[in-house]
Amino acid sequence: MAEKKKALLIDITKCIGCHSCEVACKAQHNLPGDPELQLSETALTTVQEHEGKNVRRLCMHCEEPACASACLVGALKKTSYGPVVYDKEKCIGCRYCMIACPNSVPKYEWSKLAPYVKKCDMCSERVAQGQQTACAEACPTGATFFGDRDQLLREARRRLDSDPNYVQRIYGEREFGGTSVLFISDVPFEKLGFTVVPSEEPPLPTLTASALGEVPTVVLVGGSLLAGLYWITQRRREVALTEAAEKAARNSEERN
Amino acid sequence: MPEEKKSFVTMWRIILALIFAAGIYATYLRFAVGWHAATNMSDAQPWGIWVGVATLCGVGLSAGGFATAAAVYLLGMERYRLICRTAIMIALLGYGSVCVGYAYELGLPWRFWHPLVYWNRHSVLFEVCWCIIMYTTVLMIEFSPAVVEKLPWKRLRETYLGWHHRIVIAFVLAGVLLSSLHQSFLGGLFIITKGKEYPLWYSTHLTTLFYMSAIPAGIAMIVMALYLSIRSLNVRIDPEILRDLSSVLTPLLMMFAIFRGVDMAREGGLPYLFRWRAETGYFWLEMLLFVFLPVVLLNLNYVRNRPVALYWTNAIVVMGFITNRINVSITGLERATHAGYSPKWPELAVTLMLTTCAVLAFRYAVLYLDILPRTALTKQPKWLANAGVAANA
Repeated sequence: MAEKKKALLIDITKCIGCHSCEVACKAQHNLPGDPELQLSETALTTVQEHEGKNVRRLCMHCEEPACASACLVGALKKTSYGPVVYDKEKCIGCRYCMIACPNSVPKYEWSKLAPYVKKCDMCSERVAQGQQTACAEACPTGATFFGDRDQLLREARRRLDSDPNYVQRIYGEREFGGTSVLFISDVPFEKLGFTVVPSEEPPLPTLTASALGEVPTVVLVGGSLLAGLYWITQRRREVALTEAAEKAARNSEERN
Repeated sequence: MPEEKKSFVTMWRIILALIFAAGIYATYLRFAVGWHAATNMSDAQPWGIWVGVATLCGVGLSAGGFATAAAVYLLGMERYRLICRTAIMIALLGYGSVCVGYAYELGLPWRFWHPLVYWNRHSVLFEVCWCIIMYTTVLMIEFSPAVVEKLPWKRLRETYLGWHHRIVIAFVLAGVLLSSLHQSFLGGLFIITKGKEYPLWYSTHLTTLFYMSAIPAGIAMIVMALYLSIRSLNVRIDPEILRDLSSVLTPLLMMFAIFRGVDMAREGGLPYLFRWRAETGYFWLEMLLFVFLPVVLLNLNYVRNRPVALYWTNAIVVMGFITNRINVSITGLERATHAGYSPKWPELAVTLMLTTCAVLAFRYAVLYLDILPRTALTKQPKWLANAGVAANA
């Protein structure tokens, strides 16, 4: 298995919109049909047109994936070598990953009676064997480029430095806690349909982690509080009973 | 009651038959034909009303169970012991229908046991799932005496009830904790949708907000059930308890509203309050039904002194609650995902059928078990004749 974290660098300025990546992807994953406009159960990647630019859509393979943190059975996992992979044998079909993903990447096989989640797996089997992804292999212009993540970051930085036309930002360097798919572009990302979050924003799983972190406190503090309340209630009852008994005894004495 | 003398075919029975016919056909569509035939869910809107209403509201409206159990067993509010069983039964039926509803909602429902084997402790849904399983068990234990006391075997009955009496407090305590956790974490499910959820609903305190809104909604549900029991099932309890229960709502709803307002200011939702958008309308509808109307109505003597008026006011609270849950799980996500979801009829039919099952179960439990004191309406079966006398006393 590859040691270093792998990634894809997608240079939007170089994409000519030939859809080779999409065709290669469909062949690799045995998916039917022609190129599609939107990601779907049969299109794990697409090439969309925004502002006259060709923009690839695919799973970003976040370093801290919201989908993986959301999945209750752990069917989605971030691998050590980059891809976020899906274990269809574990999935129960709750579709929380689709809600959780900030880019709404996971798609569902709505047309099937036993549906699974479909998303780009960064050709994890090929990558594990040291090969590059099918889309990178098919790209005729080098717009999609496969390599080690730190090397690709350096390469992206070099391109931004050498050409002032680029937007001075590597999309995916810090977004969503960093991703294994990196984009560079000469048109601002918000105009190309990207989910733009402030890069200092903490990755989404940390939000739920902090909420879940309160569980032990709630159980301990809440538990002792409730037990304490119960004790007070019981004590009050006992006191009331004893007082009533005493009063009754006194009354009967007086009568005697 | 004259009801018993009516012909076999009544209006309500026809309605029931229609509901079940539609529900069963919808079930066929969902399991045999496919998702497109049965639902309007899509990649843009992967959770429809089976989550938004059947789950979020099914669990939320059951919150009265733990609230009442806590009030009676832990805080010693003996006044409400009378309705404790009712509250627990509503909760049990609520959770029961949520569990059945999940067979429809899950893509691969026969794998329902997976969360017990494959764990992801970082998942809010994992937490919710486990809490719901455990709390449903707790509810069954809390409710079990109502069934056991009807068993014809005296020794078993007395041994069980004796033991139950000794340990029930532990289950009540566990139940309150489990409920508090998963009622909150149902809201917590949406904390991860930051950036997708509309600012009027997104908050990192969705946990607290869901908890604070579930309790009044659960109590409103109990009031509705009690009123209907008094009206139609010959239940003989002082209707004043409806007023007492409802009077708890005002402070609870006010607390929720204040927390909601402060939280919204903190999260930056305030600028969205008056934008000319569909969301704004849904937000104010929610506020009107869940906060403004009930708080005003519950403080009118006219309403407080009339069980019917109280019933409808509590119904408004429940509707407001349902609006809130739909808003968080559907309305609030639509703008970001470009979805235009409205439920397809089978989705509604299934939800209606499950609700009807719960209502019917409630009715027959009140008729044949000792849930609430009532004058006998039907002839009891022979094997029930001597049992349960103690509970009636």
